[in-house]
Amino acid sequence: MSTEMLEVSGLTAGYAGPAVLQDVSLDVNAGELVGLLGANNAGKSTLINCVSGLIAPRAGRIRFLGEDITRLKPDQIVARGIVQVPEGRQVFPRMSVLDNLLLGGTLPAARADRVRRLEQVYALFPRMQERSAQYAGTLSGGEQQMLAIGRAMMAGPKLLMLDEPSLGLSPLFVQSIFRALRGLNAEGLTMLLVEQNLTLTLSCATRGVVLERGQVAIAGDAAALAADPRTRQAYLGL
Amino acid sequence: MELLLQATVQGLLVGGAYALVALSLGLTYNVSGIINFAHGDFLTLSMFLALAMQVAFRLDPYISGVLLFPVLFVLGAGVYHFLLRPVAHRHLLMVIQLTLGITFVVQNGLLMSFGGQPMRVPSAYEASLILIGDELAIRTPQLLAFVGSLVLALLLWLVLDHTETGRRIRAVHQNPRAAALMGIDVPRLRMVIFGVGIGIQALAGVLLVPGQPVEPALGFRYTVIPLMALVMGGLTDFRGVYLGALLIGVTEALGTVYVSGTSGMMVPYGLFILVLLLRPQGLFRRA
Repeated sequence: MSTEMLEVSGLTAGYAGPAVLQDVSLDVNAGELVGLLGANNAGKSTLINCVSGLIAPRAGRIRFLGEDITRLKPDQIVARGIVQVPEGRQVFPRMSVLDNLLLGGTLPAARADRVRRLEQVYALFPRMQERSAQYAGTLSGGEQQMLAIGRAMMAGPKLLMLDEPSLGLSPLFVQSIFRALRGLNAEGLTMLLVEQNLTLTLSCATRGVVLERGQVAIAGDAAALAADPRTRQAYLGL
Repeated sequence: MELLLQATVQGLLVGGAYALVALSLGLTYNVSGIINFAHGDFLTLSMFLALAMQVAFRLDPYISGVLLFPVLFVLGAGVYHFLLRPVAHRHLLMVIQLTLGITFVVQNGLLMSFGGQPMRVPSAYEASLILIGDELAIRTPQLLAFVGSLVLALLLWLVLDHTETGRRIRAVHQNPRAAALMGIDVPRLRMVIFGVGIGIQALAGVLLVPGQPVEPALGFRYTVIPLMALVMGGLTDFRGVYLGALLIGVTEALGTVYVSGTSGMMVPYGLFILVLLLRPQGLFRRA
């Protein structure tokens, strides 16, 4: 049951200047939904960008399904089955919703399944089908978030990493996005969910990891974390 | 009236060839983010290489073009990978200076190898004319250049708008970081596209060369004029760039005929300034 999928160990990373992440370790097992929590600048995005190969870590190792992927390029990491839904959606604004979705499955391995996966995405977010011919830039923020998730699903991910999907969305959209994520997880998709929204994340996660100023402050079962007062302290940086 | 018709048609024909150069310049710029001031020099380079192949093997420029495409493709990809990519994320001025540096290397390399006097490259249809009625004479090589450029431009548009590769290219243009997260190898795609853009210069070069005197300093003109067409068209709009290039071709021809001396050469630039003032977003773009 608990086969290890992603294994991050001793990761230190950052941009110019002091490291944003200091010696962070984290595991994600198959079928889990792990919430990666923390305040702004805690290093959450840096961590998943290291996993995606967008940032080269200074030290540490990242393994996926037993393979060392620390030094792989972003496209090679997507090909391994790790797909990221980036912060701020990052859809292709002057392309149709359909083109955006097709781009999600542009890798040779995913292209064979594109028609089937497109139907699945439309079933998950019917609104995407209604809007399929529209430019992505004309969608609302919530619709763009649906598109970004749908686009990532087109790649047929083994591990889906989401960077703050609730950011800037109306409560109604947050609910429908999280309902969709819960559904995907229930169907067996493994997820690493970066969020600031503590309560919402812990309500659907199996486990949680709280980062505080680039280090793991506290980690454990979602229910235990939700009950533990230290979670909120770490979160608020007290 | 006769003169007006003749000049307009000639301007349109030349403008069609400018359009191809503008579109290839736009392709490399939009995908790599680098504005290549040496773009026109690769066109001159291909003209001189066609000359060399004519002298050495009696090859007609139209045939040389097919052989020169892969040569300039590799050259362009190499220039991007080894020279431009290492500075691409640095200050804009560094990138501009580097491409200007390439201009000097190519121009002076040609000057050393071929000398500075204008030369002509013999070609099969060089002197042939097509007469339409009594009033209009079209030079066959110019017609070939127009048609060849149009075909290549349509091909480029088809690839960009209707293929998976084109979709990837547009993705890298609109958001390279997100494109990488889709699994697209962005650095490799940029290198290939730069190669294609420079490769197209080989084809444009041989289409333009028959009947045209070539000299090493010609390249700057083939950077500036297409750049104007590109900006007039709004950088990514095919129709706009094409129309911009045709307008420049026509105003250039009319200016040469109707305005005396060198001031005639200024007419296209006047048009350019006018378009920038009235439609800065591009000829067909909504603001």
